Parts: sequence; structure tokens; C-alpha cells
Amino acid sequence: MRRYCLTAAKKSVWAGLLLVLLVSATPAWAHRVLVFAYAEGQNIHIESKLVPDTPVKEGKVLISDKQSGKVLITGQTDALGKFACPIPPEAVAQRLDLLIVVEAGMGHKGEWLLKAEKYLPGAAAGVPAVPAPSAPATAAPAAVASPASPPATAQPVDAQALEEAVSRAVARELAPVKEMLAELTMHRTSLTDVIGGLGYILGIFGLWAYFLSKRQGKS
Amino acid sequence: MHISEGVLSPAVLAGGAALAAAGAAIGLKKMDYEAIPRVAILSAAFFVATLIHVPVGPVGAHLVLNGLMGLLLGWVAVPAILIALFLQALLFQFGGLTVLGVNTVIMAAPALIAYYVFQPLLRQQGPIASVAAFACGFTAILLSGVLMAAALLFSGEAFWPAAQLALLAHLPGMIIEGLVTLFVFQYFKKTQPALLAKLYG
Repeated sequence: MRRYCLTAAKKSVWAGLLLVLLVSATPAWAHRVLVFAYAEGQNIHIESKLVPDTPVKEGKVLISDKQSGKVLITGQTDALGKFACPIPPEAVAQRLDLLIVVEAGMGHKGEWLLKAEKYLPGAAAGVPAVPAPSAPATAAPAAVASPASPPATAQPVDAQALEEAVSRAVARELAPVKEMLAELTMHRTSLTDVIGGLGYILGIFGLWAYFLSKRQGKS
Repeated sequence: MHISEGVLSPAVLAGGAALAAAGAAIGLKKMDYEAIPRVAILSAAFFVATLIHVPVGPVGAHLVLNGLMGLLLGWVAVPAILIALFLQALLFQFGGLTVLGVNTVIMAAPALIAYYVFQPLLRQQGPIASVAAFACGFTAILLSGVLMAAALLFSGEAFWPAAQLALLAHLPGMIIEGLVTLFVFQYFKKTQPALLAKLYG
């Protein structure tokens, strides 16, 4: 009787322990550094977090060329884990894919690849602004105003201003969507993942036990 | 405790992988049929405990339970930790596959050291064994912090700032781990004396 009570108590303790582990496991995860970066206008915006939701405060930011590994910009995240800087001109000129690394210290590090095509459309609005005044009548109108036949002198300038205004407005409108995307892109560990992992562990040891028992059976 | 991918130098990665493989091989050799359920449960506990994250210190802390694993498993703690870390790297990108060896050494070597250092004390009766159990959990985390700082040192990060940060960040963890190890040890002593008698008879 006493023995029965003891085993029952043991079982309930184990079950309780398991329950506590599972429940407490739901909202909180170990520290992986998540990085998300996007271009807005001529700036790169970077956000970084330690899973689940702690911003990387004063983390070291390194923006480098993916291919050569040359570091273009270094910086530090603010208290909200954010960092913004202008897109490096040489990156725009050479269409470099940018590798963005955030180091949180003690070996914690995350990265994000910002491909050239992801930031170039944003920068394109600004880049032609420089060559346009020097060559006003040749290239720009051909590209912008091909269907409209009257070659008015004021039109290229208007088109340019319009395009800039539109891209600014679009960027403004898209900013929250991009932040939302950033949230979604950060894969959070779910309870399902954890239970799956536990299943794997038990499965692996179960297999091991099976093979051991076979070997013992033979000898 | 998990070092990310791309932080360490190749020499450290290779050394860690070799040590972890050797340790896991020894552990698997020593693992007998009866030990398997115990190993599986502790591996699972480690898997979950290292996921639960408490926002303390600069990067947060989590339980590691490596002192407890050393206490209850000895050499078998190495494959148990290796498997849990492998799955975490695979499923959650904690650490990473190339850093798997180093991370295993960082967490499993202190488990072994604690096992060998405190084994004679754990055999004693009364308060000495309890203190040893606490120390087992405490020192395992301490050594993990030191090993991690060393791994970062050999990869170019300045040792002292990293070590101080690691020790400071893990100080609450050391105490909590010590307590957890103590309580589990006491619990097993009461309910499963046979199990402990086999290890510390």
C-alpha cells in the first residue's frame, strides 16, 4: 500500500513537472539574435532582437559587401535595437548585396542579407537626381515621357518631382507593412516545435534502446 | 550559452568538434541498457530548460542543468547534451551545426568535471552531500562561462570583458542551478535511493 502511494506520488510529481515545463516553455525562448533590414528612401533600417522580444541594446552593427566581405558601415543599435544609416554610395554604384550582421556580445550574432534589388528601387528615386540637371533633354524625357508627344521643357522636371513625391508617399505608407513583415519573418519557436523536439529525443533514445536490446539478446 | 554560427575561428570549431565526438563516443560506450530512460529524460529536460529564457543580464539567461546531468549521468551526459543541442540547432537555429561541437564541449565538459570533482563528496552522508550537490550545479555553470569566454578569446574577442560579462550574466544562473541540482539530488535520494546508490554507492 505504502509502495503504491509512493509510486502514485512519483507519477504525479513527474506529470506536474512536465506540465510546468510545457506551460512555462510557451512564451519564452533562449537567445537567438534576429535581424531584419529594409531600405526606405535612401536609408537602410535595421531592427534586431534577441528571441523572444528583447531588443539588442547597443549591439554592434556591421554592414559589409556579401562578396568581398569588405565592411562598409559599422555602428551601434539604439535602446530599441534599431539602427538606420544612409545606403553607402559605393553599394548603389556597384549593386552590392549587403550582408548585415548584428553582434549582441558573448557569441550571440544574427545576420540578414539585403539584396541589391531590394534597396535599389528605393535609391533609384534619388540617384538620377544627380545626373538629371547636367543632361536634361537627352535621356530622361525619352524614358519618362515617350507616349506624351508635346516636348514641353518643364515636363521632365515635373515627372521627376512627381516620382519622388510618389516614392516618398509609398515609402511612408509601406513602412508599417514592412515592420509587420519584419515581425512575421522572425520565426518564433512555437510549442509545436518544442514538443516535436522532445519527440525526436525520445525517439532517438528509443531506437538506441532497441538496438542495444537486440545486441544483448544475441550475446 | 549557445555561441552563434560564424563567430568562432575554424581552429576552435574543429577542436570543439573533435572533443565532442570523442566525449560522445566514450559516453555511448558507457551507456548501458538500464540507463537509457534516465538519459532520455535528462536530455529532454536539458532541451527544454535551455529554451526557457529569463530576461536577466545583457543577453538573458536560461537554465542549463549541466551540473545535474553530470551528477546523474557522468560520461553519458556528453551524448545527451550533444543530441539536445543538435536538435536545437536543427529546429530553432540556436547555435548552429558548425558550432555544435564547441557548444557541446562548453556545456558537457563542466558536467564531467563536476562529476569527477564532487563524486567523493556526494558519497558522504548528510549536509556534505547536499553542499556538494549545490556546488555541482554552481560550478558547472561557472566553468561553462569560463569555457565560453576561452572559445571567444581564441577567436579574437577580448577575453576579460567577455569573461567578466559571461560570469556576471551567469551569476544568478549559477545560484539557481545550484539550488535546482540540490533539490533534484535530495528528491532522488528520498524516492530513488537505488539509482543514486548505483552511482555513489
